[in-house]
Amino acid sequence: MTPLLNAFACLLALGCALFLWREKSSPYRNGALLAGFLLLFGVFTYFGAADSLVTDPSLEHYPFRMLALCLCFSTTSLPLYRRRYLVLAQVLWLWIELFGGIALYYRGFDVAWTRIAAIAGLALGSTFLSRISREMEFCLMVLWLAVWVFF
Amino acid sequence: MFRALMIAGLALFLPGACALGYSVFQGPSSWMTDAHTFWGTPISLFVFWIGLAHAGTLLSAVFLALDIRLDRRTALIAELSTLVSLAIAAVFPLMHLGVIENFYMVAPLLDARGNIANVRSPLVWDFCCIAVYAVLSLLFFATHLKARSYPALDMFRKPMAWLLFPLVLWVHTVVSLDFAATFVPEWRGAFFPVYFIAGAIFSGLALVNLLLCTEGYRVRLLERLQLICSWILCAIWIWDYMLKGSFCTSAFVFAGVLPQFRMVSAIRENKWGRVAISLSILLGLFLERQFLVSPEFGSPASSSLGWVDWGLLAFSAGAFVLLFWGIQYSLKRFMEVDGSYFGEVDGSDMAEVEEAELRDSPVVYGVEKSKKGFYVHPWSSEEYYVLRLPLLVGFAVTIAFMFWAIERLPFENVEFSLAHVVPLLYPLIALVAVIVLYARAYFVQKVFALHRLEKIVAAALLVLAGACAGTFYAGGSSEGSADARKSASEFGDLDLVGAAWNARCATCHGTDGKFNEKFVREFYPVPQKLDLQRVDSLGVDSLVNVVLNGRGNMNPYAGRLTYDEARALVNYMRSLAVRDSAVAASAAGKQEVANDSTP
Amino acid sequence: MGMDRREFIKSCSLVAMMGLLFGCRKVSLEALAAEPSLGQFEDEVKLAMSLSKKHLDLVRVPMPGMLDIPGASSVNRFGMAIDLDLCNGCGKCILACNVENNVPLVPAEDAGRGRFMHWVEMRGGAPLMCAHCGKAPCERVCPTGAANHTPDGLSAMMYKRCTGSRFCGANCPVQARKFNFNDARKLGLARQFNKEVPLRDKGVMEKCSLCLHRLQDDRLKFKRKVPACPADKGASLVCAA
Repeated sequence: MTPLLNAFACLLALGCALFLWREKSSPYRNGALLAGFLLLFGVFTYFGAADSLVTDPSLEHYPFRMLALCLCFSTTSLPLYRRRYLVLAQVLWLWIELFGGIALYYRGFDVAWTRIAAIAGLALGSTFLSRISREMEFCLMVLWLAVWVFF
Repeated sequence: MFRALMIAGLALFLPGACALGYSVFQGPSSWMTDAHTFWGTPISLFVFWIGLAHAGTLLSAVFLALDIRLDRRTALIAELSTLVSLAIAAVFPLMHLGVIENFYMVAPLLDARGNIANVRSPLVWDFCCIAVYAVLSLLFFATHLKARSYPALDMFRKPMAWLLFPLVLWVHTVVSLDFAATFVPEWRGAFFPVYFIAGAIFSGLALVNLLLCTEGYRVRLLERLQLICSWILCAIWIWDYMLKGSFCTSAFVFAGVLPQFRMVSAIRENKWGRVAISLSILLGLFLERQFLVSPEFGSPASSSLGWVDWGLLAFSAGAFVLLFWGIQYSLKRFMEVDGSYFGEVDGSDMAEVEEAELRDSPVVYGVEKSKKGFYVHPWSSEEYYVLRLPLLVGFAVTIAFMFWAIERLPFENVEFSLAHVVPLLYPLIALVAVIVLYARAYFVQKVFALHRLEKIVAAALLVLAGACAGTFYAGGSSEGSADARKSASEFGDLDLVGAAWNARCATCHGTDGKFNEKFVREFYPVPQKLDLQRVDSLGVDSLVNVVLNGRGNMNPYAGRLTYDEARALVNYMRSLAVRDSAVAASAAGKQEVANDSTP
Repeated sequence: MGMDRREFIKSCSLVAMMGLLFGCRKVSLEALAAEPSLGQFEDEVKLAMSLSKKHLDLVRVPMPGMLDIPGASSVNRFGMAIDLDLCNGCGKCILACNVENNVPLVPAEDAGRGRFMHWVEMRGGAPLMCAHCGKAPCERVCPTGAANHTPDGLSAMMYKRCTGSRFCGANCPVQARKFNFNDARKLGLARQFNKEVPLRDKGVMEKCSLCLHRLQDDRLKFKRKVPACPADKGASLVCAA
């Protein structure tokens, strides 16, 4: 997967995050959106990776990583319990990276420890936030974007 | 109703127990395996029931942690179903082993001879995680029951829930790594942790909805979540198909397509319709597990499910029915509780009592969110204060264990990295934290007291645990015997050396230098033959090194014997070998004479 | 039914007593199972070759490793090479390996499905056995540590430490491992051609051992042929003090 497509995946996740958890949306709408986004990300990975999907096992969990990123982005707009779900979304991303990494380690790939450490640091830091202002939201989103693109 | 359930349970359980007994007797060839993967129905049933166990924890612990209110009765039902599912799930990894007697070798505890399990293996992670999960679930359930008589215990439920929340996800992640960490083409999937957790939540919701139907009320939130889970699972299956090209159509139909009928209100409002949907989901997910574990299943190339496979399924279902409703019946007086009900009664006979209460008490439908909009900082919340010390102790013990375990690798020549032990870290932290938490609650803060019966049971359990740990050290490690501590010069006397040999070496190498068959076959592979040829070829010096530094399964004696003592022992061993070869030579000589004399 | 109740009870108890006595007889199971003949082993090898896969289906392993494990011997690394130009796929090596390592026969239904216990198999016309991988996938997933690596490069197997979880067999990319589904001795399917190699119990995994027993015997022979050198204590014969 080329770096350009990687960055585009990030933008796609950000764009999809706009539709989640809107005011007065039913759980059905959110659930269907989540499933739909997962499908969309899967199709994106499938066509974006072209033929390297079979030969590069590290792409197996790419749609799930995209979904976790999308969830992280979407929590910044929650009206209630924002900090709690922010931390939980980051933990989900951490989970996918960590255990996906261990599974890939057993098949010969190195674990991306720097990426995992970065996400863990962000999650831990988020627990200390007392008030999430707009600037803080923006800062978090930039940090997630940076972790995705550079690590 | 209860009798009908018990009869149905027995009808499933008894033939199932026959199948279980037969498969334990016959071994792995009795159930369906193919030459491709070696695992079969027991492992798919294991994954299935572990997934169901997560349902209960999800509803009781996770909802509690996230402040989604659930009435005590539903939470208790959920917790009980967790415990019963765990008990059933634990049977399967045990009975699928080829040599069941060696099951203890999987536990990462050092035994007296310095052997430790291979902590790099996902099965060892499985063992730890599930054992810790069982302990924590049991304690969580017991706390909930006891909180009726000691309301102060309610304070411990939320911290426990926060410990259980990551643990339940960790357990199923490790179960998924059993598959994802291999090179089997059908088990490729760095996304397996999320996939398995989603499947577990889905099957768990189906089970709880089924149990709620039998209780006579329903919780619409859980039914909605069930439908949403089916959509997410379908998306994951489609991704799996894009990746590998394999698709389990029966699972898709039963667990993906049929649950959509919930949208038809005639089915939704009918109790039997809801039961049918739940059962369909459970069946579909079981077939999906079966397809995953034995990918050739369903294709003409492989063997089909035999009576033992169906028998094992019946065993697990029957055991669940018997245990769940049996225990619920006997614990009825603990589980009836008054208070606001979360679910809606569905108008059946079961719910008559609840209807009367609902009419009288002010009731709140739907999800309650306490402390709306008021945010409590995690590091200053009550739960954290309760958990602070136990977690600290847990971290310390786990780090100490890691350093200790790294020294104790079974063989010197293994590559070892952090990724191999990460899956063990959190269960250890949680186990130690929970032990410290309850020890502090009982002994220091005296939050609750135990009846005499409970004290006896606790003491009996501790003794049992001690006995289990004791079996690891049965036979003991070698200790310095008084004779062997003498100085080298006194070893000129052969009898003392002989006494030292008999005390130390004879357990494996025998008093006459041939190996001690009974002991060795039970605990070790066979050591090298110590005949004269071999002793001479290896040389006294290298043998002394072996005695001092150990080799393979032989412990090093460097701290317990001096060089001279070891040398004297080796010389004694050589003398035994000399004697042996002389005996063999004379026997051969006699044989030759006998052969010559026969006409 | 001309019997009255008393006679019925008498005859039932008599039958029960006969059954008990029959069950208590002292006949060892091993005596019942006869040893298989060499011809049976030859026939099974022929059957295996006829049922063998015509193509090589190996699982792609991204990074097969060098033997850079700690403790690796700097002196030796053993392996076995097969010159495929010379190999004509006759299968005599399979029979030889079976006889050398006391590999058991399998019952008829397993044979019909192509599930043999042979350590060497014909795949795509060439013999294939355990590759004794450097970073062996089987060794890292064995829960008890029964599958391990010797310093001189053999992927070794400790039968007594095996608990039969079959994880190693599942993880082998070349599917070179065999599981003892049956108790071969009880069924009369095993024969100890070679006294140096033990017969395996039911429920343990086995695979090509690179004839470890022969390596050990050769080491012995090599050491004895080297003349004794009093100054150099390590490598040669030393008189016992």
